[in-house]
Parts: sequence; C-alpha cells; structure tokens
Amino acid sequence: MLDILTALAVGFLFAVGVFQLLRRDLIKAALGFSLLFNAINLFILAAGLFDGRAAPYTTNVENGQTPSDPLVQALILTAIVVSFGSYSLLVGMVNIISRRFNTVDSDKLTELQK
Amino acid sequence: MDNSNGLVLITVFSTFLGAVIALIFAGRNTTQRWVGFVASLTAWGSSLALLILATEGTPQVYRFGGYDAPFGIILVADSLSALFGVMASTVMLAGFIYSIHCKDKCVEYPAFLPLFLFMQTGLSGCFYTGDLFTFFVFMEIMVLSSVSLVAISDDRLGLEAAFKYLFISAIGTLLLLLGISAMYATFGTLNLADMARQLETGDRPLLATGAAIFLTSAYLLKSAVFPFHFWQPDFHTTAPTPVHAVLSSVVVKVGIYGIIRLITLLFENEAPQIRSVLLVLGIVGIFFGGWGALSTYNGKRLLAYSTIGQVGFILVGIGWGSALALTAAIIYAFNHAFIKSALLMVMGLISSRTSPKTADFKHIEGLGPKLPPIVGVLWFLGGMSLAGIPPLNGFISKLAIVQSGVEVMAWVPLFLAVFSGFLTLMYMFRTWQYVFQTKLEKTVVKVKGFTEGDSVLAPVLLISICVFLGLYARPLVYLAEVAVEQISQPHIYINAVRLFGGG
Repeated sequence: MLDILTALAVGFLFAVGVFQLLRRDLIKAALGFSLLFNAINLFILAAGLFDGRAAPYTTNVENGQTPSDPLVQALILTAIVVSFGSYSLLVGMVNIISRRFNTVDSDKLTELQK
Repeated sequence: MDNSNGLVLITVFSTFLGAVIALIFAGRNTTQRWVGFVASLTAWGSSLALLILATEGTPQVYRFGGYDAPFGIILVADSLSALFGVMASTVMLAGFIYSIHCKDKCVEYPAFLPLFLFMQTGLSGCFYTGDLFTFFVFMEIMVLSSVSLVAISDDRLGLEAAFKYLFISAIGTLLLLLGISAMYATFGTLNLADMARQLETGDRPLLATGAAIFLTSAYLLKSAVFPFHFWQPDFHTTAPTPVHAVLSSVVVKVGIYGIIRLITLLFENEAPQIRSVLLVLGIVGIFFGGWGALSTYNGKRLLAYSTIGQVGFILVGIGWGSALALTAAIIYAFNHAFIKSALLMVMGLISSRTSPKTADFKHIEGLGPKLPPIVGVLWFLGGMSLAGIPPLNGFISKLAIVQSGVEVMAWVPLFLAVFSGFLTLMYMFRTWQYVFQTKLEKTVVKVKGFTEGDSVLAPVLLISICVFLGLYARPLVYLAEVAVEQISQPHIYINAVRLFGGG
C-alpha cells in the first residue's frame, strides 16, 4: 500500500513541479524546482534496497523486523542540502532580477536576444 | 591506511583549502592572490605526479578515513582521470594567472578568487571521484560557483545568462540524481568499481538501461552537446574572461569524461546504442557549431560556438569506439582545452583594451594593428592550431581523429566531419581579417594603452604548451594510449580499488 502511495506522490510532485517550471513567472518556476527536488528525494527513498520500517542498527533482526535502509536516508540528507543551496541561489537571483528589471516575467527579460 | 595515496586528496582539496583561507583574507587582494596561486600550483604539481604514478603503475586510490570501498568513499586516479586532471589543473592555473592580471572590476570582488578555487575543486573532484554520488556533489560545487562567477560579471547581461544556466543545470542535476538513484536501486551500491564487478558476474538488472539514458543525457547537457547547447553561448559569452576561458575549455569536458567512464566501465551492453547516438549528435554539433560561429558578430561568442563544434569532434571519436578512436578523442579533448583557453584569453585581452569593454566586431574591427605584434602572433598560432594546421597540436588531434575514422572505415561520417572541419578555418580567418588585417581610416573606439589592459602572460604560457605538444606529440599520444588500454580492461580499475571482501 505504501509503495503505491509513494509512487503516486512521486508522480504527482513531478507533474506539478514540471508544470510550475514551465510557467513564465520566475518565482513560480523556482517553486517548481523545490517541488521537483522533493519528488527526487522521495524517489531516492523508494530506491532503498529493503523497505523495512524499523530503525536501522538498533533493531533486533531476530524478532522478525526488517530495518530500513540507512544509506538512502544519508543520500537524501545530502541531496536536501545541495538542492537547498542551489534553490537559495536561484531565489536570490530572482530577487536581484526583479529589482534590476522591475519584472519577473521571463518573456520580458529579453536583453540577451539582442 | 596502506595503499592509500594522499596525493589524490591533495590534488582535489588543496584548492578547497586555499579557497577557505582566501575567504578569511577577504578584502586583502594581494594575500588572496598569493594563497590562491600557491594552492593552484600545489594542485598542478600533485596532479602531474599522479599522472606519472598512474601511468607507470596501477591506479592510485585514496580512502577517506581508511575505510575500504564500497563502504567508504574513495578517490581514484587511474590514467584517464589523471590525464583529465592534469588538463584541468594546468588550464585552471593559467586562468588563475590571467585573473591576477585581469583589469575587470569583478576580479576585485572579495569572493571572486575563492569561487574560482571552489570551481577547480569541483572540477577535479568530478574527474577523480570513484563514487557516483560524490560525482553529483562535486558537480554541484562546480555549477554553483561558476554560476556565481558569471552573475557578478562586468557584463550587465551576466545575471540573466547565469540565471538561465542555473535553471538548465538544475534540470541536468535532476536527471543525474534520477540516474544515480536508479543505479542504487539496481546494484545496491554507488561505487563505480563495485557496480562494474557486479556487471561482470551477474545478469542484466532491470533499471540499468533507464539509468544509462538518464546519466548520458545529464552528461550531454553539462557539456553543451548539440540539442542541449542553447544555454552555452549566452552563459559563456557574458562570463568574465578568465572564467570564460576555463568554462569553454575544461568545464565542458566533465560530461565527456563521464560518458567515456560510463560506456567503458559500466554500460558495455548499452554502449553500441549510446555510441551511435553520440556519433549523430557529434556530426550535427560540428555543423551547427561551425555555422553559428560563422554567423555571429562577437569574438567571444564565436569562440563559444566553436566549442560546440569541437566537442562534436570528440563525440565522433567516442562514437566510433575503437581503441584508436577513443585515443583520438582523449587527445582531442586534451589539446582543445589548451587551444580554446588560450584563444579566449587573447580575445579577452583584445577586448579589455576597447573603451566600452566588448568583443563585438563593430568595436574591435581594425584594432589589431594598434596592439603590440605579440597579440597577433598568439591569435594566429591559436587559430591555426584550432583549424588543424601543422605543426601545431590541433593538427595532431585532427590527424588522430581522421586516422581512426579510416581505420573503422566510416567514410560518410568522416567526410562530413572533415568537410565541416573546414568551417573552423573559415571562421578563424574571418576573425583574423576583421581584427588584424582591416585598416580603419578613423578609429571608432578609443584604444587603451598596452599596460592598461589584461596581461599577456597566461596566453603566452598556454600557446607555448600548444606549440610544444604539436612539435613533440609523442608523450601525449603515449599517455592517451595507456589510458585507453587501462579503461578497456575494467578489472584493472576494479582490482586497484580493492573492494572489501573482494580480494
């Protein structure tokens, strides 16, 4: 059951994230990125080798409980930090762009085309 | 801690340490420059030592904390990554020397040199890592620092171009992460050697093909190969000159390195399909890059387009896939880094002498005769080298590509590649005509004196390396041959990593 829910959540986050990414408003597009990164984080979680629910290392395996995969959690932690870094840089640049050009509409940012 | 070589660590992290120390001395430019120069020089020296060690003996491995792979994180320098690492550290050192003498305002910015050093850490980390997830982390370090460097450029358009690139590269990062997690779901490990060992013994797992597609497209996006190229001319043109010189020459090689590593070590089953895609993309890229360079009216933009075309040649070499063709691709990648960075620095120092600082042909037309003759000599040598005229190193790389094409008897792609290679000659001559051969009756722009612009030291160093590698090409060819010999036998890599319990 949880597998299907995770798959649905990944798919939903991907759909919303890609939709937001393709919008003209730069702020909404940046928000789309944070959604997409979260979709990826869930995907990494689902890619774990064994899907136990018990805490790793501390669980007594003999009483029938499967521990969860600790490596994917470490990976997600790193991915969160890295994506947070690039997201904050993105938002900071949107801030400067909105002040310099007085717009966040990507159709009006056409100086490079000249 | 036996069999663990600290040189690999020094190569990757000396610039990181230098960047942190330089951040402490923020605001004191002279101290920052000395710290950064020493760090960059250390990285260069140790990368050279690594190249000798890895070529003469076995791949060198550094284990973080002494833990064996696949449980610990490792850095591996086999001869392929050592060769790419030497290329990167040499060009980055030259770029650093250029930025010391650069008259741009953004170089004075206290974070400029630390960011430059962080970019080198990310770059060499990508080449030396033995772990897919660490590759992702190093690539993000590189992307974020290069985006910041372009965003603070003197060119007002830098911000817009940097934002565009950050968007595109974030999509590339998503693809890379998808590929990496699919690999983890398939193999249960992130270590390249461990995956290769499982592939040698086990049957084909389910998700590996999907992971191959994701990873290949992420790498193609990072090296600005034809259908993913659209961000590259803007992003590279608006960058400050020293940053542009390293972006267009060595940073685009990260994707090339990743593809070579993937198709030789991991995806031998998918390699024929990936290769045929690369061959087509390479030839289209050569045409497109040459055409774009011919039709643009900005010197820096011309060289950025030219990079798309030159990367196309490397992809054609990888696409043919024989041992000789891979050797040719590696030689081409190595030589192109020096030629392109030198040409960009020459273009940068020409444009730094115009009064509204620009490389637009309207402004630099006829500027050449007013500059000292050494600038013209450098541009001529670099341009001839890029076009593949003997006795320069560009000729060696073109010759290697043509020879490997004859060997695999791929006549149609070979004809197309050589024919569109003439576009290179055309656009280099066109620039030469515009800048150095035109005599203007009255000057359109004010030209600054020789001492007011950027220094000529770094391009002189790079061009002399180009001339040396053209006259005496044997060492480079030998190194590339050893690299191909090593990567065509994955068990050398796997044995050197000495996996836990694997013997």
